[in-house]
Amino acid sequence: MIELVSPITFKWIMSILTALASTWALYDVVHLTRLVRNHAPTSDPLVRDKYFGYAMGIAIGLLGYAGILRYHDVL
Amino acid sequence: MAATGPASTAARVVSPFNPANAVTASRFLCLPPFVWAVDNGYHQWATLFMFICGILDKLDGAVAKLFDCRSAFGEVFDAITDGVCYGFGMIVLVAYGWAPVIPAVIVVGLGIVNSVFRFIYAKRAGKTVNYKSYAMERVVGFVAFMIGFATGPMETHFYYYYFLPIFVLSIVYDAKRMLIDPVPGAPG
Repeated sequence: MIELVSPITFKWIMSILTALASTWALYDVVHLTRLVRNHAPTSDPLVRDKYFGYAMGIAIGLLGYAGILRYHDVL
Repeated sequence: MAATGPASTAARVVSPFNPANAVTASRFLCLPPFVWAVDNGYHQWATLFMFICGILDKLDGAVAKLFDCRSAFGEVFDAITDGVCYGFGMIVLVAYGWAPVIPAVIVVGLGIVNSVFRFIYAKRAGKTVNYKSYAMERVVGFVAFMIGFATGPMETHFYYYYFLPIFVLSIVYDAKRMLIDPVPGAPG
């Protein structure tokens, strides 16, 4: 039994998949910006959950990108 | 145009044996080959099997929409399957030394605590319901990737340790919402 692809191809597949998933942070940036612009009330627990969830999504996306940069010895 | 009358307003009963739940259940089939790959040191195969498990997670929602078989049970079953598959995956990786012990144990432990809180929330709501959280949707997605980072391996220690604060914060926030905040739509 051998592995599926060469190590360098696998490295790039992992990087591209992580980058694609981390791009989800942009979606969260757009939605968070929209909430802030509309002065969505934080007294509403569902709106508060959106604020928090989008912020966490952005943090996770940034973490994803930072890891890719480290993986390629950029950071 | 929406139909009116008693037939349309009555709650639709969906069998638990439906295509969407079948897709969800099929995720468990990824676990034995995943263990086989880890046991034999096949990093790429292990990544592939966990990737398929993640794709099936995304697919079951689409199948539920396609066959119009969404149900409260399906949502809860999906959440339980997430916990079992990813929790089991992480334990296997720790056992084989592919993932750092401390962050992995904290993630699995807090995941179990979160599941207990979900159960308490369902009791507070008075019905079978899966607790929806924007933060947890993203966190669970990243946990699936963490398994991939360990099987890769790809910056395993970096991702595992730096993810911990985000994970702990999300769990604490959700605990407050599930245990303390009023249930949306509930009287009082």
